[in-house]
Amino acid sequence: MSAEGMAAPMAAPRARPAWLESFAGQLLALLASFGIALVIGALLILAYGENPIEVYRSIFDASLGSADGIGYVLSIATPLIFAALAVSVCFKGGMFNIGVEGQYYVAMILAAVAELNLDFLPGPLLVPAVLIAAMLGGMIWAAIPGVLKVRTGAHEVVTTIMLNGIAISLVGWALNGPLKYNDAPEGAFVDLRTNVFPKTGLAGDLGSAFGITPGAHLSWLFMLAVAAAVIVWFLIRRTRLGYEARAVGSSPGSAKAGGVSIGSTQVRLFLISGALAGLVGMQNILADRGYLPLNFVVGLGFTGIAVAFLGQNNPIGIIFAALLWGILSRGEVALQISSQVPREFIIILQGLLILTVVITYQIAKRRLAARQLQRAGMFGELDDSDAPGESAGPRGPEETGAEALEPSDEKRI
Amino acid sequence: MPFTDIAVAIQISFTYFTIIYLTGLGGLFSERSGIVNIGLEGLMIVGTVTGAFGARFFTDTVGLGTIWGPILGLLFGALCGAIFASVHAVATITFRVDHIVSGVVINLIAIGLARFLSYAFFNGQSTQSDPGGPHLARLDIPGLSSLPGGLDRAFEGLSPMVIVAALMVIPVWYSLNRLRWGLRLRSCGENPEATRSLGVSVPLYRYQGVLLSGAFAGMSGAFLAAEVIGAWREGQTLGLGFIALAALILSNWNPIRLMFFAWLFGFAVAIPLRLQDAPVISLLPEQFIRMIPYVVTIVAIAGFVGRVRPPAAAGRAYEGGGGS
Repeated sequence: MSAEGMAAPMAAPRARPAWLESFAGQLLALLASFGIALVIGALLILAYGENPIEVYRSIFDASLGSADGIGYVLSIATPLIFAALAVSVCFKGGMFNIGVEGQYYVAMILAAVAELNLDFLPGPLLVPAVLIAAMLGGMIWAAIPGVLKVRTGAHEVVTTIMLNGIAISLVGWALNGPLKYNDAPEGAFVDLRTNVFPKTGLAGDLGSAFGITPGAHLSWLFMLAVAAAVIVWFLIRRTRLGYEARAVGSSPGSAKAGGVSIGSTQVRLFLISGALAGLVGMQNILADRGYLPLNFVVGLGFTGIAVAFLGQNNPIGIIFAALLWGILSRGEVALQISSQVPREFIIILQGLLILTVVITYQIAKRRLAARQLQRAGMFGELDDSDAPGESAGPRGPEETGAEALEPSDEKRI
Repeated sequence: MPFTDIAVAIQISFTYFTIIYLTGLGGLFSERSGIVNIGLEGLMIVGTVTGAFGARFFTDTVGLGTIWGPILGLLFGALCGAIFASVHAVATITFRVDHIVSGVVINLIAIGLARFLSYAFFNGQSTQSDPGGPHLARLDIPGLSSLPGGLDRAFEGLSPMVIVAALMVIPVWYSLNRLRWGLRLRSCGENPEATRSLGVSVPLYRYQGVLLSGAFAGMSGAFLAAEVIGAWREGQTLGLGFIALAALILSNWNPIRLMFFAWLFGFAVAIPLRLQDAPVISLLPEQFIRMIPYVVTIVAIAGFVGRVRPPAAAGRAYEGGGGS
């Protein structure tokens, strides 16, 4: 980074376009963070007495070394793309949708209701109806924190986490009550689940056309996820709502002064986020299972947050981040077979990746901002560590430090 | 419904008060110093796995007996919580990563880290440890535990940690309101620029605040795993770290008011565990009873959040003299 910083020609401010510079900076940051994570990971592998290169190669072989492996990676990535897109849409508006988890639970309930009650529809109508039901379910569950935030100021991190807890019980209630299976053969033991969905309402196998095992459950949902990423990119970059979202996210004060309704923007972002979150569970119930079981795949919403950070909230970056996540997850299998390193190592490696990506991007962002300020000639000498941020300016009268230095705040009780 | 049920629910509420209060105090130190910490849940998770291991290790492996073993187990959980919190501290204070982003990352990593540690601690079991771990002897509170009509049950068989947590309010309140250290810590959270102009190192105090939050949340997790459940189980924190965060917000970042809200949420958590048969509540399906603590938290946050004032500089990156 620093070498590149020195090379930047001070005398020719417009030598390179800003986007290229920011792209190059981000790419460097990304490579640096990958490098750091892989090196720390290699040290851990050495601690287990294994050869890091062999372990990394076995992860690569299991995921990208065969058509089947690639199929697994794509189907693991499918729900993660939806989840990360859902997180990133809210993030663009400066909000944290930690509730993707609960939103896709509720969406799966509504999708199951649609599957089991609209089974008279032909496939080409049934599947869209199911997807719409799922998106509606996600939107309903996302609207609650959005409206509460705008109306009462309740922080969405707390409310969405609580709604996740409510949603898991809601699934349990639905599977014990209204959606309880009744098509089981007499006397057979069946897990708690819904009836089997009609065949026409499922996301059919796509992999066999490419010589991929049906066990990977690769379906057109992956294509839908990629399309969703493109739509989100268009929405954020090319529409009025996207512009308003970015304005609210980067500077609510200026957005308001510019005539943007902050509350309405935030609620709309939550609704879009919820719609995307609604599609997270579809891979599991439409492609993998064909019904909604109680032991459905949980945690995709939280993994989506990690993938969104890894992709730096860029819809295209998210596709690649989800694929990387899929490669690592698929690598767990290889670890179990071919080495002494426990499969939990992968989780640690994924954690290291998020941490290094978040930190190096922060550093890269600061350096870029500092350099741009320098170019603009606003400051004579500007070191990274002294860069004044937007928040260091003068502050409102209610925030004076005098209050803090009082011996006690008992008067506020 | 007999009084016994209410009494037992109250007894359980004391246990959950302890968890929520300790974690909330952790959040208090961090946020008063200006660092928002939504990683409390993750810090608790690390506390659960290390605490469960520590209690067993110091009691059985080292052979310190059932008094010092469990105590050191709790302290080991606190230490590991503090070590893990240093990740949040480095990210937010030194590298000035957004506090919420870092907190979310802490929560994400904690789940994997806990599995990794569990695998190493408990013979390859990555999601649980064997039940029946050692814990401190249970106490009956003198006087209150001889109340008539079944109410005595509320004050019987409590972990000594319940009393420790309740008494913790005194040193915490005193250090934050009477000691120079606490006043400086709080001024870092209100106006770091002014604090720096007085010659105080803001990053130093913020590091202390965040590490303390890890210690408290870690101890709380260790208490949950070792003292309450007697084993580590994946997911046993059940969002209590976030409930503690909600209690902290409602308390207006005040350790005394935090006691009340921690108990209130503790009672809400106890309802599905013990009061399923109470009037009105018993009319609900079982799954809806389990939602009660979460619904109570949402309603409380939505109803009261407008009336509290967080530390002015919490969540804001402090730029001056940080030193990366």
